[in-house]
Amino acid sequence: MNIINNPISDLESYIDEFQSAELPLLNITILRNITVEPIKPYIEYLTLCMGFRANLVFGDYDNILQDILTSKLLQKNSDCTMVFLKLETLSPALIYRFTELSPKEIQSEIELIHNFIDTALKGIRAKTNSLVCWHGFELPISPAFGMLDFGNESMQYAVIEGLNRFLKKQLSTHSSCYYIDLNNIRSTLGIFNFYDNRYWHMAKSPFTLAALKNIAIDNFKLIRASKGKNKKCLILDCDNTLWGGIVGEDGLDGIKLGPDYPGSAFYEFQQEILSLHHRGIIIAICSKNNEEDVWSVIDQHPHMLLKREHISAYQINWDDKAQNIQKIALELNIGLDSFVFIDDSEFEINLINNRLPSVETIQLNKRHSLDYKAALATCGFFDSLSYTKEDKLRNKQYHEENDRKNSRESFDGNIESYLKSLDMVAHLEFANSSSISRIAQLTQKTNQFNLTTKRYSESDIKAFTDSKECIVLTVKLEDRFGNLGIVGCAIVDLVDDEAHFDTFLLSCRAIGRGLEMVLLHSCIEVLKSLKVNSYNANFIPTQKNKQVEDFYSNFGFKLISNEAGIRNYIAAENSEFAQKPNYFKTIIFNS
Amino acid sequence: MNEQKIKSIMSTILKISEDEIHAESSPDNIKTWDSLQHMNLILGLEQSFGITFDDEEIIQLLSYEIILAIINEKVQ
Repeated sequence: MNIINNPISDLESYIDEFQSAELPLLNITILRNITVEPIKPYIEYLTLCMGFRANLVFGDYDNILQDILTSKLLQKNSDCTMVFLKLETLSPALIYRFTELSPKEIQSEIELIHNFIDTALKGIRAKTNSLVCWHGFELPISPAFGMLDFGNESMQYAVIEGLNRFLKKQLSTHSSCYYIDLNNIRSTLGIFNFYDNRYWHMAKSPFTLAALKNIAIDNFKLIRASKGKNKKCLILDCDNTLWGGIVGEDGLDGIKLGPDYPGSAFYEFQQEILSLHHRGIIIAICSKNNEEDVWSVIDQHPHMLLKREHISAYQINWDDKAQNIQKIALELNIGLDSFVFIDDSEFEINLINNRLPSVETIQLNKRHSLDYKAALATCGFFDSLSYTKEDKLRNKQYHEENDRKNSRESFDGNIESYLKSLDMVAHLEFANSSSISRIAQLTQKTNQFNLTTKRYSESDIKAFTDSKECIVLTVKLEDRFGNLGIVGCAIVDLVDDEAHFDTFLLSCRAIGRGLEMVLLHSCIEVLKSLKVNSYNANFIPTQKNKQVEDFYSNFGFKLISNEAGIRNYIAAENSEFAQKPNYFKTIIFNS
Repeated sequence: MNEQKIKSIMSTILKISEDEIHAESSPDNIKTWDSLQHMNLILGLEQSFGITFDDEEIIQLLSYEIILAIINEKVQ
């Protein structure tokens, strides 16, 4: 049950219950020039919701640069650094005395702030690889020159907008640094619910609990994504969700759907779904209906925006929806905790909450269909840290996967001849600047074919790539149905004459094609060429990676220990390894 | 009713047991009741009771007895 909207004392009691639970730590550091301590219960609660326990450390009040540059506050392997830099404290002149300042003085204040941001960001990035969530400057509500100010490029409002533009630009030049928009949260809540003037004056604590709750929620949209906890697939109900009314009763002409009211609620909702589709979210349908009725709407309704080509999987029948969602998960080969299920029926939502608790649900209120779009757009389940080429292509790839499946059926069990018929081309390549964000994303999102399940940020990957003691190798896959982009990677540490496989993973879309053999053989070839002749590897079990527990031993590594499920393996250059697959059309190594 | 609710909130926020709270409980005799926790306590009480303390009340609310009196006044 979600209690984020309860009073903080309820949250505190809930958090206390987990005091002695064994949970992995999520290390969060807050750098600030204001008081934000009351955000603590929200952060601790949202961390628990992710299955972690928060280790939250506040830097000293208004001590940001010292904390970054001279203290041990920022740890290399910390998970998140939040920055609250309020202009009232950083540059009182720009906020309180703007009308007294000459253009030259304004310029010099701006430069001081630019320097501060640059120094802080470089300092943070030098100390830690953590995700950085930087809260932008709040725009003035009653700017210095009154109404005139809003339209004037050199006055206070525009100057602060300019500072935010600068900040965003600097954040984007560093890896894993993100902008959090306080103005957006403020406009959602309204200023009277956002600011607490009493505590701003008494304790330099500007925000209400409601504001801090929403700020924490926005931070966690990014933190969740950095830990691979964001969602990959949206499962949609049909009647009173995708359109108004019930197609089986109201008929194709009777349902509400179109650019004008009342169909516009559903039309707009479908547009939102399509934009998620284009962001790489997989769309599936789970509906209690006669299948042909649903397809008649999808194929024939003039205002249906969602088409067959957008739908990667569907279960349209009268079976229970928990079973149907499990079938969809099997078909798409992704875990249940990657799904969001959306329905207007309280019964179906409760069923899924009870039977498949790892599936997130959104219940739509059919008496307020005009709010459907907002319910989906603000849920935050699908936020990601990057938008890669692979995201753009993903849904096309699932369609290609369906073509592959159909083609596989015609091969009756002879998998090798089927694989051969795919004309697969594997491209191996060392990580470079254009693949870093995809590699980080793969480590964050891959659960099944992942030997160690270590989650890394872009800056971690960059650090590995820059290091001489580390090899990061990626593999791209192409076949006659399409291009899957980068679908696998290996991170290998080199210590003296030994190699240690830190990470070895394959996207679920590329499982079952022998690509893992190609990748591991290539790693070993690279290592041999470097005269590294001893290889260590391990398997760390999770709830989801059982299918790869024997991967290394099947490949020819020798099991040397098994401690609490963690298996350690060794191999040497002269070990007998499994044969390299012969059903690839080409294997290309770009070194 | 208010007594119980206030004690429960004070106990979770100040991390003390409810039995330790009596009329004269104040920052002088409860170690965890520092200025930061005072702010958390005020914000927590406001949120739970759906009330807002006046500016000056915030600095007066320095014992259980006073908190109870002012809340009783506000939630009538």
